[in-house]
Amino acid sequence: MIDSINHCTPRWLGMAVAFGLAALIMIYLSYSLPRLLPGDFVISMYSSSQVTLTSEQETELRDYYMEDPGFFKYALRLAHLDWGYSYAFLMPVSALFFSALPWTLLLLGTAHILSMFIGFVSGVEVAWRRDSWLEKGMVSTMTILEGVPEISTGVVLLVLFALHLEWFPASGATTAYAELSFWTKLIDIGYHLALPLLTLILAYFPGNFLLARNSMVMVIKKPYIMTAKAKGLPDRRIRYAHAARNALLPLVTRFGLRLAFIITGALVVERIFSYPGLGTLLFNAIKARDLPLIQSVVLVSSLMVLAIILCLEIIYRIIDPRVVYEH
Amino acid sequence: MSLYIEKLSVLYKENSHAIQALEEVNLELHSGKCLSIIGESGSGKTTLALACLGLLPKNASIEGEIRLNGRPVDYDDEKSLNDLRWAEISIVFQNGAANLNPVHRIIDQVAEPLIHRKGIGHEEAISSAAKILGEFGLGHNECNRFPQQLSGGQIQRALLAMALIMDPDVLILDEPTCGLDALTKSMVANIIRETKDKNKAVLLITHDLEFAERNSDVVAMLYLGQIMETLPSKDLFHSPMHPYTMAMVRAYPAMNTARDLGGIRGDAFYRTMHQHGHKKGAVYRHTHIQSPGYEHESGHAPSTGCIFQNRCTQAVDACRLEPVALEVIGGHEVRCVRHGIVDILSLKGVEKKYGDVVALNSTNFTIKAGEVFSLVGETGSGKTTLAMIAAGVLKPENGKRIFEGKDMDDWIRSDYESFSRKTGVVFQNPAEAISHRFTVFEAVAEPLRIHGLFNNNDELNTKVKEALGYVHLSTDTAFLGRYPHELNMGALQRVSIARALVLKPSLLIADEPTSSLDPSVQAKVIKLLLELQTELGLSMLFVTHDIGLARKISDRIGVMLSGRLVEVGPASLIIERPAHPYTRLLIDSVSGIPPDFPKSQLTLASNSGCPFTERCNRVKDVCKHKNPSLIGIEERLVACHYPLISKNVK
Repeated sequence: MIDSINHCTPRWLGMAVAFGLAALIMIYLSYSLPRLLPGDFVISMYSSSQVTLTSEQETELRDYYMEDPGFFKYALRLAHLDWGYSYAFLMPVSALFFSALPWTLLLLGTAHILSMFIGFVSGVEVAWRRDSWLEKGMVSTMTILEGVPEISTGVVLLVLFALHLEWFPASGATTAYAELSFWTKLIDIGYHLALPLLTLILAYFPGNFLLARNSMVMVIKKPYIMTAKAKGLPDRRIRYAHAARNALLPLVTRFGLRLAFIITGALVVERIFSYPGLGTLLFNAIKARDLPLIQSVVLVSSLMVLAIILCLEIIYRIIDPRVVYEH
Repeated sequence: MSLYIEKLSVLYKENSHAIQALEEVNLELHSGKCLSIIGESGSGKTTLALACLGLLPKNASIEGEIRLNGRPVDYDDEKSLNDLRWAEISIVFQNGAANLNPVHRIIDQVAEPLIHRKGIGHEEAISSAAKILGEFGLGHNECNRFPQQLSGGQIQRALLAMALIMDPDVLILDEPTCGLDALTKSMVANIIRETKDKNKAVLLITHDLEFAERNSDVVAMLYLGQIMETLPSKDLFHSPMHPYTMAMVRAYPAMNTARDLGGIRGDAFYRTMHQHGHKKGAVYRHTHIQSPGYEHESGHAPSTGCIFQNRCTQAVDACRLEPVALEVIGGHEVRCVRHGIVDILSLKGVEKKYGDVVALNSTNFTIKAGEVFSLVGETGSGKTTLAMIAAGVLKPENGKRIFEGKDMDDWIRSDYESFSRKTGVVFQNPAEAISHRFTVFEAVAEPLRIHGLFNNNDELNTKVKEALGYVHLSTDTAFLGRYPHELNMGALQRVSIARALVLKPSLLIADEPTSSLDPSVQAKVIKLLLELQTELGLSMLFVTHDIGLARKISDRIGVMLSGRLVEVGPASLIIERPAHPYTRLLIDSVSGIPPDFPKSQLTLASNSGCPFTERCNRVKDVCKHKNPSLIGIEERLVACHYPLISKNVK
């Protein structure tokens, strides 16, 4: 029965329905959840200032800022791609979002890709040298590193390299107000990126290494590796085309799941290094109870995660042909 | 172009102990030939295959030498090994699909050695791979699939194509037919033949005895890392010379096997060796046979002597003394202290007359250790007489009897007591064979009492209960106190089997043990007898008039007519293609087919003419004047002037 349904409906249709439903739920949550935050924009705006509001003024302000458009109107507005206007920054939310997004993508994307690549290659090479001192040493070091949270690595790096040694800048993504040529600007960006990037790599790489090594160790025992050896193939061909290729799948899964933490991952590190990305933006928005900004950042970043998962689903099929046919 | 394996020993080291996978294996494989390695799981077959390719894991320590095309395989030189692999020797591993990488297409995996070993261009390599896959019946579509999209048979073809892509001199096939359908099996057989025709050598590792017999030239039987017998494959089914080979044959469900399958008694998985600290600090090595049932202390392998002794049907004290070497006997290489399967009993020219009635004409026959021999024939054909002569109960007028290598008549005359412990007899009618005044306990205990083989009553009790345990009877006090008339016939026959076995004889003689039982009880008793025969390693002489029953239980059958054996040979052959018209008649009458001669009349043996003349529809003049003597046709002996199968076949 189930089989026959699966045969007549194209698989992509089922997937589209599932993803559409997930997106709808996210839109509703992005509307309702930020409203549950204790306090509001008026309190956070005026509680710390010298201005004392009369109760009429306060009611008026609150009426203006806290007006509830209802979910339907909220959704309609989103459908027009109108993200709203930030109370605190007095700018369109989309402009704020798109000015912060590139920095987060640069930081998180580079960190993820680099840590995955380094973790994968070192995991494969170390697993191939099973039972050597190198393997034992690496595995125990990485297990310890895996336990250190990025908040502490970040602070240590900041104190050591930025404050003490003064090798790298302590905050920002670029040198402010500097007139630079294209290349020097690029170097400047890299210079600012170094510490937050290193923090994230140190946080992500041990996990990737351990996963790659474990999955490689399992794959090495498979009969097809013996077949490849029996065929007299060059060592590197066996290691990468036969073994590592099969060990890759769990790592891709991990990569995808990690991307879901792109905002929260950024939040801590971006705060430590005052990096002007989405994390910092969200942090400031929450601090100011800037409802339209919170809603948009939460919604758009969760939709991004959804899109990433969809992409992974497609990538899986390419790297592991079994996914398509197992049913 | 050939493969020589010389004194190859492989030990897998694990912490404090080592597993002995192979011990001084010598094999030769010449081009154009196929050698089969047969053995139980854990006997070291796959280790042997891996050793030939230098693929043993790092913890393996290797002694001895493997020479491929005259050059020794150097295990430490990975580069020379890589040059050897696939180009000179290739392998099809067992377990099909697991040996193919799930993320690469079939054709890429087949072409891979050409690209990365020979440096052939991608296009060209793919097209040669497509060509060879095509020859093996995999079309363009299948070639471009991933392993998990193909059926087991297609996978096997792909693996074979892959193994042959670089045109190696030696092809190793590890369980190539395991789990495959009959048609793919025959395809594998074809490939073996073609490979042999191309003057290449094939090393076939298999459980499949029939496949090995048909497709290989020589068979080597491997047991716990030792070669027990090397024999021409044509001898595998009907004239093995080692008890292990015989037991393996008996356990194998070949197409023409009629008898119920029997295993090998006991079990063995692999041998481990380790060292224990002795009290005085000395360390000694000893060997365990590891299997789930054994505790450390009870699982010791025989420390000296033959490693098969604890499962053998003919083990004697000499087997325990020293290690056994292979010796050449009659074209086989056999590792056995007793020089191959021995005859437990052999009768030469025995005759018996009752007054002026000749019950048994001069007859020769032998029972091999560990086999079930059935005597079949109509009433009055002399079966029981022959069986009782074999049991030592009757004395023949003429002829010689040899039991376990000793002259039986001398033995009986000088020490009947010790002889009578060697044979157990189960009679036809259990109600008559057990004294009405004996309880079950007394009936079974009687032989022990006569022979005085117990020290106190506890021991007597234990031995009686053990014997009743063999035959699956209750051992509680109430049952032990029952009298024969209180038991049904099935239970009673079991009691008499227990009585026959209580002295642990080496030959059990059963004279129509089930003819007084109804079929359902008969089935149980027969199963029981076969089980005991396997587990106790007995030899058995089974007398029955029912050739259908004989077919289910015997290794060999002797057909008796008028006091003569007229056909003797392997049960499967005799039932499938009887040579004597009388055997044919017996087989037909079991299924109720009416005979096609006018009258049925039993003639007692006369010295002139064949005793079957009056009922035979092939009768010629010579039959009436000359009694035919036994001649060998197709691995059997038959006494007929015009046998049903041609003398020239095979």
